[in-house]
Amino acid sequence: MNARSVAAWSAACLFIVLFTTNPAYKVLVLAAAIASLAAGAGLHRMRGLFTAIVLIAAFATALNFVSAHLGTTTLFQLPDQIPALGGPYTLEALAAGVNGGITVAAAIAAAAPFSLMLASHDVMDALPSALSRTGAAIAASLNLVPSVASSFVQVSEAQRLRRWRPRGPRSWAEVVVPVVLTSVEGSIQLAESMEARGFGSGPRTSLRATQMRNTDWILVATSSAAVIAFIAARAADWYPYPTLHAPAITIAPLAACLLLFTPVLTWRSRA
Amino acid sequence: MAIARITHLSYWYPGSTNPALTNVTKEFEDGLTVITGPSGGGKSTLLRVLNGLVPHFHGGRIAGSIEVQGMDVIKTPTRRLARTVGFVFQDPELQTVYDVVDREVAFGLENIAMPRPEMVGRVEEALHAAGISHLAGRRVRTLSGGERQRVALASALAMRPRLVVLDEPTSQLDPEGAAMVLDATVRLVQQGRAVVIAEHRLERLLPEAAALVTVDNGRVTTGPPTPPTHHASARPTPSHPGPVAWSLTGVTAGFGSHLVLDHVDGAGHEGEVVALCGPNGGGKTTLLRLIAGALAPFSGKVERRPGRIAYLPQSPTALLHRPTLRAEIAMTLERAGESDAPEVILKQLGLEHVAGRYPRDLSTGERQRAALAAVLPGRPALVLLDEPTRGMDDASRDALMRLITDLKQSGSAIVLATHDAELRTALADRVLKVSGGTVTT
Repeated sequence: MNARSVAAWSAACLFIVLFTTNPAYKVLVLAAAIASLAAGAGLHRMRGLFTAIVLIAAFATALNFVSAHLGTTTLFQLPDQIPALGGPYTLEALAAGVNGGITVAAAIAAAAPFSLMLASHDVMDALPSALSRTGAAIAASLNLVPSVASSFVQVSEAQRLRRWRPRGPRSWAEVVVPVVLTSVEGSIQLAESMEARGFGSGPRTSLRATQMRNTDWILVATSSAAVIAFIAARAADWYPYPTLHAPAITIAPLAACLLLFTPVLTWRSRA
Repeated sequence: MAIARITHLSYWYPGSTNPALTNVTKEFEDGLTVITGPSGGGKSTLLRVLNGLVPHFHGGRIAGSIEVQGMDVIKTPTRRLARTVGFVFQDPELQTVYDVVDREVAFGLENIAMPRPEMVGRVEEALHAAGISHLAGRRVRTLSGGERQRVALASALAMRPRLVVLDEPTSQLDPEGAAMVLDATVRLVQQGRAVVIAEHRLERLLPEAAALVTVDNGRVTTGPPTPPTHHASARPTPSHPGPVAWSLTGVTAGFGSHLVLDHVDGAGHEGEVVALCGPNGGGKTTLLRLIAGALAPFSGKVERRPGRIAYLPQSPTALLHRPTLRAEIAMTLERAGESDAPEVILKQLGLEHVAGRYPRDLSTGERQRAALAAVLPGRPALVLLDEPTRGMDDASRDALMRLITDLKQSGSAIVLATHDAELRTALADRVLKVSGGTVTT
């Protein structure tokens, strides 16, 4: 698959989910993103992402439920004297929180193909030539991430064996400082290696041509159509306050959202 | 005709008053030039002068002149010299930009905007020259250290450089990986390329070498290549092991669902050196971490006598963070409640001259010794060292051997995970082979 077509699809998903306040269409976008990821990356590779999405969405929901004491349907009430938490807890605030959680979840799922399905060089090749050098630098820095993680494990183990014990935030300096220094040194060595291979000489070329296949063009077309159709359809907004009510659903924006399911037909997991 | 000519060159790193190179005059000809010398002597600095990383990347002050293929290195940026001088660094993991082998090899060619059709041929040619055509298309992270270092070599060769420079390319590798890289280097020389390599493993290289250059304390001397002197194969001092210091009973361990060791038994005694050998990924480090208590087993029992543990991890330099090496050692001693002076271990490891320096400013070999000095001072009850001689020169290795012998005689239980056969022969009372999840004698 081509990173440019994936970018077009992700952008369409993000646009719709951020453009509308209507939870019905947001849910559709979330469903399209998850179904597409399942088709393209395989369910087993989605486990970690899925857990993260659920946790982040739950946090967003809880945050609104706890902080927005608006609405008419009170579920329970905490004394007003409790700072920040005191006040009525309403069904409307919960519904608005769920809507926010769905928005965050859909946005993460829509951007996930870049990490789950594409290699760093796929993304780099898709960048315009003006951004090629920036892309190379980003790709190189991404390669350092695993070494930072293993460095953290090694340093914390070794420091514990030198009788270091975590006692408050300042004590962590003995682990964090070596890890950071090691990462910085790693970055410098990588920069040295890039410089020694002519990085920064001027305009770059690429070993692989970025080719758009028919399925990529179809995805770009359906993604663009989804955005245009959604704007044209003027989907009804939804606002849960002061009294909760069901969102209005009409055929045209619904059909626009359904176009985002195209990758389910065109992406195939390599697993 | 000389490919590179250095004339009266002196160089100071930024902020340093002592020169890293002093009045160096040297010509590099075709064929293989081997650079030797003690850690911290200036080998890496000399090599970096050849492609302009010194002074362009590192800054500092430089005097004298250097020419490579008629180009004035001091006036030519490294990125332009990249077409003439290929460079391979020590650590294979810290010179990879892309995650696929052929893309990685093409990185330099992409930087010089080579047209795609020509680039494809160059990549194939470089992979072939480095002996890794079979790795094209592989993910870099799935390769062994030796394979990754040959990918780095192919990346340098893709630019068709007139001169190939390798800075201790085997220092982070096991014997098999090192042999792969040195064989590939020798093949390059046999194909008629000019190669300059800094290396401690001289046996494979010296028969092919046209010149041997020694860099010590920033000064360069040249001599004809002579066979390396073999150390008399020392034998371990007789041991009189004391009580059991650590033991494993039916231990199964690994990471997540990945099993590394399966129902392993073993024990070590006070005053005994046990060496662990076996292939990379066989479980040596896991076994050390289990003995140290850093890793909990899935099942089975790990026991160790109470007392201080001195543990050197695989990337030992990651430990170092204090302002001076002396402070680093003092911290270990203070936490252990021991009254020794840091100078004792500094002297044992030949590090007195760098005691007041920031450990991370030291050369790679000196850092390795600094990390050993940071974990080994005083009287540890249990000493666990993971590849302690990696990247060390002979003199440093000898100093470490003497220190381990002293620790053994003072009753420490010692476990070494090492590929270094000479170290095992000289020190180990017993050798355990760790491979395929099992431990055998």
